[in-house]
Amino acid sequence: MSASVTADSHSTHVPHDSHGHGKPGIMHYLWNTDHKMIAMQFLLSACFFLLFGGAMALAMRWQLAFPGHSIPVIGHLLPHGIVNDEGAIIPSGYNVLVTMHGTILVFWVVMPLLIGVFGNFLIPLKIGAGDMAFPALNELSYWLFALSGVIVLSSFWVPGGAPGTGWTAYAPLSSVAAYNQTPIGQSLWCIAIFINGLSSLTGAVNYITTVITMRAPGMTMFRMPLPVWSIFLTAILLILAIPVLSAAAAMIVFDLNFGTTFFRPSGYGQPLLWQHLFWFFGHPEVYILILPAMGLTSEILAVFSRKPVFGYKAMVWAMIAIGLLGFIVWGHHMYVSGMNLTLSAAFSVSTMVIAVPSAIKTFNWMGTIWRGSIHYTVPMAFAVAFVSMFVIGGLSGIFMASTPVDLFVHHTYFIVAHFHYVLFGGSMFAAFAAVYFWFPKMSGRMFNNTLGWIHFWMTFVFFNLTFFPMHNLGLGGMMRRIADPTVYDCLKQLQPLNVICTIGAMGLGLATIPFVINMLWSSRNGPKAPANPWNSTTLEWTVSNPIPHGNFAVTPTVYHGPYEYSVPGLVRDFLPQNEKAPAHITLEAH
Amino acid sequence: MIKTISPDILNKRTASLFLTTGVFLASILSAEVACAEERSGNVYGLPPCVTTTGLQVDSIIKIIFWLTALVFVLTQGTYIYYLIRYRRREGVPAHYSHGNNTLEIIWTTAPTIIFLALAIYSNRIWEQIHVTAPENSLTIDVSSYQFGWQMRYPGISGKLAPMDVRKITPQNPFGTDPENPATAQDVICTDLVIPVGRPVHVLLHSRDVIHSFYVPEFRIYQDCVPGRTIGWVWFQATQTGDFQLACNQLCGTGHYNMKAPIHIVSEAEFQKWLTPRQQKNAALVQPSPIAAPSPAKAASLTDRTEKNTL
Repeated sequence: MSASVTADSHSTHVPHDSHGHGKPGIMHYLWNTDHKMIAMQFLLSACFFLLFGGAMALAMRWQLAFPGHSIPVIGHLLPHGIVNDEGAIIPSGYNVLVTMHGTILVFWVVMPLLIGVFGNFLIPLKIGAGDMAFPALNELSYWLFALSGVIVLSSFWVPGGAPGTGWTAYAPLSSVAAYNQTPIGQSLWCIAIFINGLSSLTGAVNYITTVITMRAPGMTMFRMPLPVWSIFLTAILLILAIPVLSAAAAMIVFDLNFGTTFFRPSGYGQPLLWQHLFWFFGHPEVYILILPAMGLTSEILAVFSRKPVFGYKAMVWAMIAIGLLGFIVWGHHMYVSGMNLTLSAAFSVSTMVIAVPSAIKTFNWMGTIWRGSIHYTVPMAFAVAFVSMFVIGGLSGIFMASTPVDLFVHHTYFIVAHFHYVLFGGSMFAAFAAVYFWFPKMSGRMFNNTLGWIHFWMTFVFFNLTFFPMHNLGLGGMMRRIADPTVYDCLKQLQPLNVICTIGAMGLGLATIPFVINMLWSSRNGPKAPANPWNSTTLEWTVSNPIPHGNFAVTPTVYHGPYEYSVPGLVRDFLPQNEKAPAHITLEAH
Repeated sequence: MIKTISPDILNKRTASLFLTTGVFLASILSAEVACAEERSGNVYGLPPCVTTTGLQVDSIIKIIFWLTALVFVLTQGTYIYYLIRYRRREGVPAHYSHGNNTLEIIWTTAPTIIFLALAIYSNRIWEQIHVTAPENSLTIDVSSYQFGWQMRYPGISGKLAPMDVRKITPQNPFGTDPENPATAQDVICTDLVIPVGRPVHVLLHSRDVIHSFYVPEFRIYQDCVPGRTIGWVWFQATQTGDFQLACNQLCGTGHYNMKAPIHIVSEAEFQKWLTPRQQKNAALVQPSPIAAPSPAKAASLTDRTEKNTL
């Protein structure tokens, strides 16, 4: 089979200069086609954007708890598009924060963190390949991402400032300069989204090709570890969904700058067209953000429960079902947008159905820890918390899926609570779990446990303190994206809840400090990590630390599925994928 | 395995920490519920509900609330029990199992049935809420713009002057026909005044970007889309009181403060408020006869008003 030939040619890697690993000095870090270095580039960039986007969230929380009060200490340092002379946030500045926080966290933090970092780092290592199928395209994908990041940040410094139309950029607010007052910033936003989309597409093409053609001998599709499956399926979703967003973003640029009227009714355009295009991308995007998290978590739960993943095939089929159904539920963002009401009803049925595969996954996660031998480590704690938080986020989703309930809670803080439980409690918790779990392989050193536990408990407690009360705010009728809830009589009574959320958010901000210190300090000074610190079965743990260029000295051969833990009759409680089970042991079919 | 503190002690400690944190978070939750209770006298923290359709929305919120609460307690309870019960202990190996197909079938089928039942039940209510507005409804044209609201009430004829969304301009904000004598009859104001007990049919318009008609106490959210008339929103107030109409779709700098007062008053008070205004307008256009919209125009108004197609 050609797959094994390709894999061979990559693993028996002859040193040469085209990968950049022979380059002197800083170029080694800047232009390097090694998938591990590209993962590092994505990781550092995503962490930078995480701190930046997180800081914007703190500013928003300050304003919501104490509307019109100057931000202490740093208020005066913020740019004048955001704050007034006293250092208090102005309404248009608040809209900018809302927009850029959402945009940056989705496109420049969670996507690169889950897909850019772990897609790049794990796919070749887990399938037994020497690198990605297209190493140069891979590096191009990172630099397109970096370029798009520079463009989106540059919108803060152009005349008119950054856009304030929300990360959803609903037209015609976003597409008519007279309405948004920030045509340049909005155009840059669209261009940044477009280039970010190119980065995602080049990455996705690479992941799909690598998974299909470069698996080691014996690594059948149903022997692939779940993170590889999840990122493979995510890449397919990216290829199908991203072009729609890119086209829509281009249409806004044309409307803003070249006189077209795609979304402007006075020019026979249709405002709802934007919403259909945006959410046709936007709903698969939701699963793009959670599928890799599900895959990573499944593996971490299995490793630390010392048990095979419960229902491996059900997990895979559930992810495939989510991927397919994800394309026919976009209308649930539009029940009350002016879309045909019968269509709303139809979309609510498909939306209820897509909850089923998520439920299947949850039950299988519980099955995985059931009768396990659970070892609590920092990555395990994050993975365990992921399941709990995902359940809360899933259950609150049922409220919005029901059309009459959405008639009330649409665009309230209930939805803000819901998607933060899925995106932070879900995706970010999984990202933290994965960063800790693969840190020994990425850096060759162990992280500091104490700092890790402090980070986990602070994140877990303050996350819930920040976002749980938002359910109550939403059911209490508080609109999202308003700069000052106290202008409404019915919301004044809810103000103490806003203060609680803000206290939680400040704690969540502080929680990142032990994380950042731990990562920076431990990657240089941590104790040297053994090759397989977690006694794990998948191929990346069979290579030595630091991982040699080309990954595998000899292409591994795979003999069985990925999660053979606690096989009765074996001395060790794990059986790596490249080790044959002794003749007297029968592995259970999975 | 990297040596940490004795794994047994650590596991036990972590497991109990999970439990304590759970209790801690549950107490925050109950404190919140108490806070919300003070506000409106119900465990859900909902604002008071003052429309008939709102009661239907509340009924399904309550069903889903208790359903999800039950699922939450069962799944998280089982999960936390497993997390504590199956923590690592010396000499107790994990159970070797790759899964169970019968279980997979059960936990695929059961949620499917529950979710489909919920979808069907929800959409029945959705359908009931969106039946065509009753004949005796008071029709009000609600026009939104950056950053405020204007209402247009029928004049003395009892009928709104016809409008065309394509005619909406800064000079003609309601898109009415200036040549039509009925236009001058319409009563225009910035407060939404409605009689209790009578169905009120609102025609939602926007002059610029997408706004939304959101009143938490009515349990109604509906976007106002420029270039269109959204004609399927109607409601019937069950009690008098003062509320606020809010824009709940990010519409620009002044979005956060785009609100309008709502006064729900008795039928008598409503007439006391509306009739003098109608008469004043009628007096202004005297002596020309009060022209009701011609049948053709009335028909075209109906055509442009998107009806609920359920």
